Amino acid sequence: MSELMFDAVSVRYGGRRGLTAVDQVSLTVPAGQVVGLVGESGSGKSTLARAAVGLAPVSAGRVLLGGADVRGLPRRRPLQLVFQDPYSSLDPRMSIGESITEAMPRGAHRGSAGRRAEVARLLELVNLDPDRAATLPGHLSGGQRQRVALARALAGRPDVLIADEITSALDVSVQGAVLNLVRSLQRRLNLSMLFISHNLAVVRYLSDQIAVMYLGRIVEVGPAEQVLTDPQHRYTRELLAAAPSAHSSLFDGDLGDLADTEPADPHHPPSGCRYHPRCPIGPLVHVDRTVCVSEDPAEGAARRRHRAACHFTASDLAPTAIPRGGSAS
Amino acid sequence: MATGVGRRGSKWLAAARTPLGACSIVLLTLVVALAVLAPILWQDRAFAVDTDAIGQGPSGTHLLGTDSLGRDILFRVLVATRLSVTLAVLATVIGVTVGLVLGALPSVLPRAAGRLVISVVTIAVAFPGLLLALFFAVIFGVGTHGAVLAIAFAMAPSFARLAQTLAASVVGRDFVSAAKVAGVGRIRLLVRHVLPNIGEPLVVNATIGAGAALLAFAGLSFLGIGVQAPDFDWGRLLNEGLDGIYLNPAAALAPGVAVVLAGLAFNLVGEAVAGVVGVRTRSARIGRRSVPAAGTAAAEEHGDDALLVVENLQVAFPRPSGWTVPVRGVSFTVRAGEAVGVVGESGSGKSLTGLAVSRLVETPGVVTADRLEFAGTPLLTTPERELRGLLGTSLAMVFQDPMTSFNPTRRIGRQLAEVSEQHQGLPRRKAFERAVGRLRSVRIPAAERRARQYPHEFSGGMRQRAMIGMGLMGEPRLIIADEPTTALDVTVQRQLLRLLARTRTEGDTAILLISHDIAVVSQTCDRMLVMYAGRVVEDLLTGDLAAGPRHPYTRALLAATLELDTDRAEPLTVIPGRPPEPDRVPAGCAFAARCPAATDQCLVEDPVLESVTAAHRVACWHPQEDAAPERAREAVTAGGAE
Ligand code: SF4
Ligand code: SF4
Repeated sequence: MSELMFDAVSVRYGGRRGLTAVDQVSLTVPAGQVVGLVGESGSGKSTLARAAVGLAPVSAGRVLLGGADVRGLPRRRPLQLVFQDPYSSLDPRMSIGESITEAMPRGAHRGSAGRRAEVARLLELVNLDPDRAATLPGHLSGGQRQRVALARALAGRPDVLIADEITSALDVSVQGAVLNLVRSLQRRLNLSMLFISHNLAVVRYLSDQIAVMYLGRIVEVGPAEQVLTDPQHRYTRELLAAAPSAHSSLFDGDLGDLADTEPADPHHPPSGCRYHPRCPIGPLVHVDRTVCVSEDPAEGAARRRHRAACHFTASDLAPTAIPRGGSAS
Repeated sequence: MATGVGRRGSKWLAAARTPLGACSIVLLTLVVALAVLAPILWQDRAFAVDTDAIGQGPSGTHLLGTDSLGRDILFRVLVATRLSVTLAVLATVIGVTVGLVLGALPSVLPRAAGRLVISVVTIAVAFPGLLLALFFAVIFGVGTHGAVLAIAFAMAPSFARLAQTLAASVVGRDFVSAAKVAGVGRIRLLVRHVLPNIGEPLVVNATIGAGAALLAFAGLSFLGIGVQAPDFDWGRLLNEGLDGIYLNPAAALAPGVAVVLAGLAFNLVGEAVAGVVGVRTRSARIGRRSVPAAGTAAAEEHGDDALLVVENLQVAFPRPSGWTVPVRGVSFTVRAGEAVGVVGESGSGKSLTGLAVSRLVETPGVVTADRLEFAGTPLLTTPERELRGLLGTSLAMVFQDPMTSFNPTRRIGRQLAEVSEQHQGLPRRKAFERAVGRLRSVRIPAAERRARQYPHEFSGGMRQRAMIGMGLMGEPRLIIADEPTTALDVTVQRQLLRLLARTRTEGDTAILLISHDIAVVSQTCDRMLVMYAGRVVEDLLTGDLAAGPRHPYTRALLAATLELDTDRAEPLTVIPGRPPEPDRVPAGCAFAARCPAATDQCLVEDPVLESVTAAHRVACWHPQEDAAPERAREAVTAGGAE
């Protein structure tokens, strides 16, 4: 059991005119806790996960696992990642047993009988029939594959698990079962977990803390229930309002013209607050708020509630209603 | 596993029965048999010098005549098979091995060294193969060894390139990343994950490459820098035969024909193998079998304003084992200006229903219906040409991935304009102006400028807007949107759903929104059809969703949908079991195996969609009665789902 810490991590791709996918992100996943990370595509949340496991280049800052820089750790690290698409994350030509075996630490299990027993144990752990170890992934459903992917991640005996959109390729009826499984595994094995999803409802269900990412930055982070019931950053509120729900209308809280603005181009991030071209309480609506364009709200974020990266956080202003009734429970 | 192997085996058998497969097998067997047997049987006769019969034409004793030493040409050609084929195969094996190593190196070497290898290969690929072969032949010296190496090295670059391209596509897949995260080393990564997944196309190309090597070898020998006397291959025989071509054309023709036939054998085998392993897929031919008859459905009352009438729609696909029917008798109506949602999980047949309505189900799929009418026109009986105009202007489709619906090489504005040029006969300028107007109406900022951009310059949400804009180029009376927001972020999703809703009210356009997300549908539509295993199981007003759907599946789906107020203390509700495969739908209710309310009747009798109130239809023997759908969480064993 150990904590995962991102210390001012940046990930840059390409040369001088490249793209900063993750910009100075600091985030801690405390030991044994679940931190949910939400944000839209292109916000850098998956890149952050990939940086932690060495699949994306860390150009500045450090990723610390139990206090030690991951770059100094041996190749088989107690840090594992489960991928989004269970159809491409398993080698179609390897039986699921082989895939799981491959991820076991070398020498951890004596002989092939020992490894087979471990495969059976892991398959049982994720509620799959251990007799299916010889099955090829092509014969499994999406939900079953995702269980295999989980078992493979657990084969590496991780202290920390990163789950990157692991339910978004699954059907609703299967999603629940996988989430139940993830939660019970996390509790049983006391894993620290970074749970990434674009779906706030999914993140809310699992997480102790929630971090919100926008254009490569963390704009708000705090205890799950607080972030959802008392969001400080305007973007968090937009995400909450936009979450589809069977009991809310499409036209709640219409944003007028701002509703149709385009997501910003990560190659040319806006100056000051990166959210300002879309912010309904920003300079495009309140002309006097030039500070949003000129000054980066990341400065001083540590002093604000939920470390919100905004010059005009909700608690600075008069208390307003939460965008959606019933979002708090 | 066993079925997988069986299917594979039958695929090979089926391929062997096609003309291509049969030809290639016969030719290859012939070539191999000759290569093995000819030298054993006819070695002596091929070398027998007969000074009495020098340079003769074809005759009874020498079918193809004799050469300048009086040796029988037919036997010489037959005997030369072994050397010609062996050398070609040898060259191919060396060439492919070198190519593979070169191709694989960049993924194992440090980055800079890898780049160097790639650029060397890139330069080598730019040279014509034969030129390279000649160049190497000169370097390695005249003779058999030199020629083998020359041809091998001439082949290597193109194989290296192929291996690199294939490997790059595999390396980008998640399972390779997953192995890396698990701590698997580079070499093992290459051997266990990359090579097996690129093996098939490589084998196919190597086989075809062997044909080319055969030809190249004959060329070198013909030029005198390949096989040297006293050995002989077809190239040398060709060379010798050419000297006396006016006296005995057969002497030159025979080795030529041999080269062509053997080359053909390799190429055909390569093609046939490619067909089976799916490098290039050939659709298997299916005999005309009658489509299974759909059950009868109770005809519905349609008002005068019915825009789309679907009655007993069925979509069937032939499989080797019989028909599979993913859409089994779907009936519904969409009135003018109405927004109807179709909800279901993957495999429920919802997307196929949408495709069938827009006549986009591709052969060999078969669409049947008692009635399928759009704007009063029967879609199944009206000839394709007449339909094109109607569908082109009055029906718009929006798919999940707009990138595949736009031509990536043409500007967005032009692609929109084309619709009007074709269907409304507008001149180019007018059509473009209309395109810009439509882009503006779907709220694309700076529409004028964006119209001149290419699809890849648009973000996902903007592309989806442009797609809707394209649909609006005509005067659509119905927009069918199939998971239009699934690939988009929630904020963008809401923008797009609003746009759809607005389009509907502004143009009195009906919408058929197909989605897996019951929340999205209930926010956007007046009415929703819930589909399960190819059937509509419930048809209700979205307003009634809160009051309580009647079908157990709809209830389960609703309960399984996570919301922002789901109780965190409890395990999530799941629907135990999984939907039936479309070719194994049970006799009774398809949901029975997963249904908490199922009785014996459900197992044997298939419920039909029947009205419970004027605007509510349910296909269930025991529609649930109690009002509010309590979000009861059934006690579910952890392993229950799927
Ligand atoms: S800093 Fe300004 S623009 Fe950014 S979120 Fe806050 S109010 Fe909006
Ligand atoms: S017909 Fe029977 S099995 Fe089918 S949904 Fe209704 S109660 Fe359940």
